[in-house]
Amino acid sequence: MKNKISKIIILFIAFGFIACDDELNDLQPFTEVNPEAFLTDLASFQNGIDGIYGQMYNYYAASASGLQGIPDILSDNTIQVQSGRRSNDDYHDFRYVATTGGAIPLYWSEAYEAINVANIVIGQIDNLADSDDKNNILGQALAARAWAHFDLARIYGKIPTQSADANSSLGIVYSKVEDGDTGDPLATPSRETIGQNYTEIIGDLERASQLIGTGNGEGRLDRNAVYGLLSKVYLYNGDYQKAIDAANEVSTELATAEELPGVYTDVNDAGIVIQLAVNTSSESNFANVGVLYSQSNADNDILEFAIDFDFFNSIDDTDVRQDIIQYVGNNTGVDYNAIKKFLGEEGQVNGRVDIKVMRAAEVLLNKAEAQYELNQQGPALATLNELRATRYEAFTPGTEAGQALEDAIQYERRIELSFEGHRFFDLKRRGESITRSDNGEVIDGSGTKPEALVIPAGDFRFQFPIPQAEMNANSGFDGQQNAGY
Amino acid sequence: MRTKFSGILTLFLAFIVQFTFAQEKTISGTVTDDKGLPLPGVNIIVKNTTNGTQTDFDGNYSILANRGAVLTYSYVGFETKEIAVTDSDVINVELAASASELEEVIVTAYGVGRRSTVTAAISTVGAEDIEDFVPTTSIDNILQGQAAGVQVTAANGRPGNTAFVQIRGTGSINASTTPLYVIDGVPIPINEGENFNPLNNINPNDIESLSILKDAASASKYGSRGANGVVLITTKKGRAGEAKISFNSSYGFGERIADPFDLMNAEQKLEIERQYADLGVGAANRLPGNTATPAERARLISYDTNWEEELLRTSVVQNNSLSIAGGTEDLTYFLSLGYNIDTGIIDRIDGFERVSARLNTTYQAKKWLAIGANVSAARSTTDLPRDRNNVQNPFRGMYDYNPYAPLYARDDNGNIVNDADGNPVFNRGGGIFFPIAQALQTELEDNRNLLFIGNLSADITLSEKFSNRFAVGVINNKFNRTNRSLPGGVLQGFIGDANFPGTQTENVNVDFEYNVNNLFTYTDTYNDLHNLTASVLLEYNENIRNELRVDARGFPSPKIPYLDVAAEATRADSNESRRILFSQAVFADYNYDEKYILSGSLRRDGSSRFGPDNKYGTFYSGSIAWNIAKENFLEGSVFNDLKLRASYGTSGNQNIPDFQYIDAADFTTYNGNTALRPLRAGNPAIQWESQAILDIGLEFGLFNNRVSGVIDYFKKNSQDLLLNRPISHTAGDEDNGIFSNIGEVENKGFEFSLNADVIRTDNWSVSLGGNVTFLDNEVVKLVDGDDIITGTFGNNILREGEDIYSYYLVEYAGVNPDNGAPLYVDLDGNTTETYSDSFLQIQEGKSPIADLQGGFYGSFKYKGFGLRGDFVFRGGNYILNNQRQSGIAIGNIDANLRTEAFNYWKQPGDTNVLPSPTFQATADQTSTRFLEKGDFIRLRTLTLDYTLPSKFLDALPINKLRIYATGQNVLTFTDYEGDPEIGLGSAESGNQGDGTFVPGSFSLFSYPQVKSYIFGLELGF
Repeated sequence: MKNKISKIIILFIAFGFIACDDELNDLQPFTEVNPEAFLTDLASFQNGIDGIYGQMYNYYAASASGLQGIPDILSDNTIQVQSGRRSNDDYHDFRYVATTGGAIPLYWSEAYEAINVANIVIGQIDNLADSDDKNNILGQALAARAWAHFDLARIYGKIPTQSADANSSLGIVYSKVEDGDTGDPLATPSRETIGQNYTEIIGDLERASQLIGTGNGEGRLDRNAVYGLLSKVYLYNGDYQKAIDAANEVSTELATAEELPGVYTDVNDAGIVIQLAVNTSSESNFANVGVLYSQSNADNDILEFAIDFDFFNSIDDTDVRQDIIQYVGNNTGVDYNAIKKFLGEEGQVNGRVDIKVMRAAEVLLNKAEAQYELNQQGPALATLNELRATRYEAFTPGTEAGQALEDAIQYERRIELSFEGHRFFDLKRRGESITRSDNGEVIDGSGTKPEALVIPAGDFRFQFPIPQAEMNANSGFDGQQNAGY
Repeated sequence: MRTKFSGILTLFLAFIVQFTFAQEKTISGTVTDDKGLPLPGVNIIVKNTTNGTQTDFDGNYSILANRGAVLTYSYVGFETKEIAVTDSDVINVELAASASELEEVIVTAYGVGRRSTVTAAISTVGAEDIEDFVPTTSIDNILQGQAAGVQVTAANGRPGNTAFVQIRGTGSINASTTPLYVIDGVPIPINEGENFNPLNNINPNDIESLSILKDAASASKYGSRGANGVVLITTKKGRAGEAKISFNSSYGFGERIADPFDLMNAEQKLEIERQYADLGVGAANRLPGNTATPAERARLISYDTNWEEELLRTSVVQNNSLSIAGGTEDLTYFLSLGYNIDTGIIDRIDGFERVSARLNTTYQAKKWLAIGANVSAARSTTDLPRDRNNVQNPFRGMYDYNPYAPLYARDDNGNIVNDADGNPVFNRGGGIFFPIAQALQTELEDNRNLLFIGNLSADITLSEKFSNRFAVGVINNKFNRTNRSLPGGVLQGFIGDANFPGTQTENVNVDFEYNVNNLFTYTDTYNDLHNLTASVLLEYNENIRNELRVDARGFPSPKIPYLDVAAEATRADSNESRRILFSQAVFADYNYDEKYILSGSLRRDGSSRFGPDNKYGTFYSGSIAWNIAKENFLEGSVFNDLKLRASYGTSGNQNIPDFQYIDAADFTTYNGNTALRPLRAGNPAIQWESQAILDIGLEFGLFNNRVSGVIDYFKKNSQDLLLNRPISHTAGDEDNGIFSNIGEVENKGFEFSLNADVIRTDNWSVSLGGNVTFLDNEVVKLVDGDDIITGTFGNNILREGEDIYSYYLVEYAGVNPDNGAPLYVDLDGNTTETYSDSFLQIQEGKSPIADLQGGFYGSFKYKGFGLRGDFVFRGGNYILNNQRQSGIAIGNIDANLRTEAFNYWKQPGDTNVLPSPTFQATADQTSTRFLEKGDFIRLRTLTLDYTLPSKFLDALPINKLRIYATGQNVLTFTDYEGDPEIGLGSAESGNQGDGTFVPGSFSLFSYPQVKSYIFGLELGF
């Protein structure tokens, strides 16, 4: 008996030595994959492409810091409401430094994550057989990679038209798998110049324009989107004729006055050239970008920011956009000029809507501005009137010229694109200062005036600091922090 | 519930009375020890029958037996005595201390050992040390102050919440620092990343002892899981003899420990608003203190709401437990049932409730085969408030809500406004936009845990020299969470979808861990002097976790909390994770005549968490001990125990996330379509953290062990710490880091513990004891020598050569007496009126980690009366008092403030004041102004009890009756401006498992500690 037991135990021990090694070695993750090995067919590449957009949505839509709204919070379009949570006051009051949380680390990190996915897709693209579908995938990846780099360059660096020294100033790291920039997580790249960055951005976009398809579905880039981006990048780069040419390639129709309100509640996609979309049913826990401006319930509108007093009062009563931009918000008995865009889908106040990155109106305004810059004042006026005709009741075509025309183009641009993430960049690229009106946040202009009334042109805070975490982790950036920080 | 127990009790009583018929003769007497002191609890059995009894508290017994029968008197630590019944009806017995059993047997790694031959530093906590705690206190919390070298920080005061336990300091930075808990041989899975910790579902009444393995000689035997020390939990067993039935019932209440400061009342709050507005603080302009008419003002003052009263309550604590234990020589059993409720101090939600059951059995199936089975089941439910830093948390709401704001909305005449159904409407004015009292009823989180633990073992005696133990342990926990946001509720108004009112999330997490081990042991003695034991261990451990989550929205009624009625599901996830550990080990112990002792262990672990190149790690330990007391030259001295021991060895920490060695991506959605999301760049070289501990200890017992103590010196070097090496964000990594084995920290210190039976007479006994640990720690090595800024809000730093988690703050230099501006110190040491993040600097020697920590107790007994007080203390740590910062922040003028806020700078020359409100921007900044010493001494438990003497019991069919009153946390001595017992600052900002969380580093409105009073009754049959 005892002998038998001894034998069983010895067997057990011997078995234990052999069997358990396999168990150990065979264990693999259950819900994770190797990203590169995963990309094998069109469907998986499409998952990769949507992964790029998902990362971009992360920084455009973030409830606390979305790029959809921060450029307006940084600008003269908004004023902080003291009875809110005082979110983003470091940004609105221009107190940010390299360690400030929120937008500064978010954009830097998420945009490069989008670029990483784009590079994974581009690096594996030859897993697909040559076809139009392959070209369309590659075109989207190249365009998205350029777009994310463009965002980084305009946020953390100067814009070529901003000042004479811009092109030789420090830009960002342009990461391309084709150039061997990826694969080493411990790499310590250094900043390139803005001039080099814009060359790469334009290069990727121009290549994409030859590959990408038309009509890739809601929330994805297509041929119109690439040309729309090109018109913007050329405008930022001062390539005005190319900006006009690219704008002419965009076939998206302007949203009509009737369609325009529905654009912001996702009833229609009229005039949308680029959007980052959200499925509010299956993604009902995704970011609610409207929280940047306010949170509302049945009783109160808890505003974070209201519309700048002078800006709102500059809007003509015949302007159909007045009602699209503003509603009277009330918090415990006090009225404000509340921001209506991004309140939510039709009938909602939860702030969860598609991100409007680029609309046909912007492309048109890019074109008008480029025409003006080339001193094609007649065509510029005609382009501007094309937009204005759909925005004013009983519109009489304008007849401005010279400075008045330039002001009119910028005035339309400010109103048309307000609260959609443009104003700060438009002031920045034109080398203008930020001048807020000397009024409070309440509807009658009373209340608390802005802490930062004027940010003069050329101020170092037009360029965000490189996040401190990057400075710490990357020795390649030693001595490359933006001036002033 | 209580009525049911009463019914059962009555049945038992009737049952027992039945037994008192039909016996021949009553024998009575007293059992004493060799000094004549009465021995309670001595087992007396009529030999060859199952008839037996026990001595009472005074050593008295009586038993029915036939003349000529033999009575067996047995008691742990004493020689068993047999006496035949003669004519006499009185048999007084004196038991002699047994030489072999005199020594305490303690639970050690993979077995038990006699204390005198153990070479390891092991602290033990017995059942009597933990019985005074409120039973809903989790085991880890109970450990506080009970054992030297164990640092316990309560997570917070929420009923049933667990604690942060560290043995001998912080041995890791990114991996877990929680010890390995093993209950009856079954490792308990604790998953900090998921906030899963089943310790609170173990009934403390079931615990016989806790052994804390602290040094290499013991912890190394657990290899890659031993680095943080090991806590062995042993549950109670039955003993041969008649069934002992014990019933314990208690009832009590608890309340928030009062703050050492005052909040403003309505009149004061309106006044400070007026003052601020006069000084030009913009935010005060629109507040009623500035705008209200005299009539309005009078009305607001009349509300004078005490928000603590409106939001909190006195908690009710109820406990009932029943145990039945006994057995024969072949079979023993221990059966227990427990039922505990602690409502918690938040009004309008339920607290913690637990039902538990356990059956432990042993059976001598064959002469060579003993089998054992321990099974337990427990179910607990908890309602959770949101632990976050805003008024969605009642503990922030009670400080923030203005006292002039009423709970319910008022009309212009000051009458309460009712809704259409006649229910009062919660007020949203006066600075309240989020009515937490309503939210507690509309935003609900309810957790349920169902825990099964089972352990089967077979001990096979192959021969005198060879034995084998085979054990299978299983632990299974099912966690359910229901998170609801009711239609029409507070949050729905903000974030809900108008077309789909109400949301609900259901989580089901199932944790399953099984452990199979086989221990083959050879024991031999040569020449009666050389004693050798050697064992071979094989162990296989696998942890499987399954998670399921479903979200849905659109509920027709707040009354139906099931997804079945929801309009649509908005999310459905399931996930699985596994971790396998396979181990082989050899242990050897040798001693020469029990005087000179040598022990060694060698263990090889393979873990699925590591890459192919580093799958296996080897851990070893060696230890020696010298039992000086057994030397001839100490014979007859006051020392009956004196042992010097030393150990050195290694262990590992494999508590890092799974699969860090491979590149990975997962999937999310974009616009409803599947989207690939890269997660990380893998590090194929990753392996466990390793640890080397040196321990030198001295154990002593004097005057027949009436004075005993232990002194230990330890030095623990934790190397190859897994740090998330920050990488350039331009690589696009999800967390911008790559796990690498880089860091090193050192913890060293002294531990002392001492116990003394000062007085031990017939009527009187006085015992005193305590322990203290002095701990010193240092960061030795980091990635490239670079500092790591950490802490939930970046207020802690890891720097080579400095204390672990030193504070990293801007230095505050008081208020400029000339103008009231706050002053700060820049990096050049100059005082300035500006504040800048660039002034952040290390606060050397100031960290959240205590330099000393411990506990002490005094126990006094006079006849049946007993009084015992247990204190815990901690010193040398600092806490960032963000809660105070919030209570006096100028920018928080729209919320209530502490009365201290009135003490601001008013005119040149003012000193010892807060900054002038005109300097809001610079004054409302985090700095050393809010860094406070966390030293405290707290009377953790104070128990007064009375045990009915046996002469009264003789007339009753019971053999024990004890009534008691216990206070928990009744007294605290501290200079900290708040409650110094801080673990979680604000759980939704930072919690265990978050990379940057540092326990006890800041206070920010988490569930506070509770003071409770319990009254109870203990009955034994």
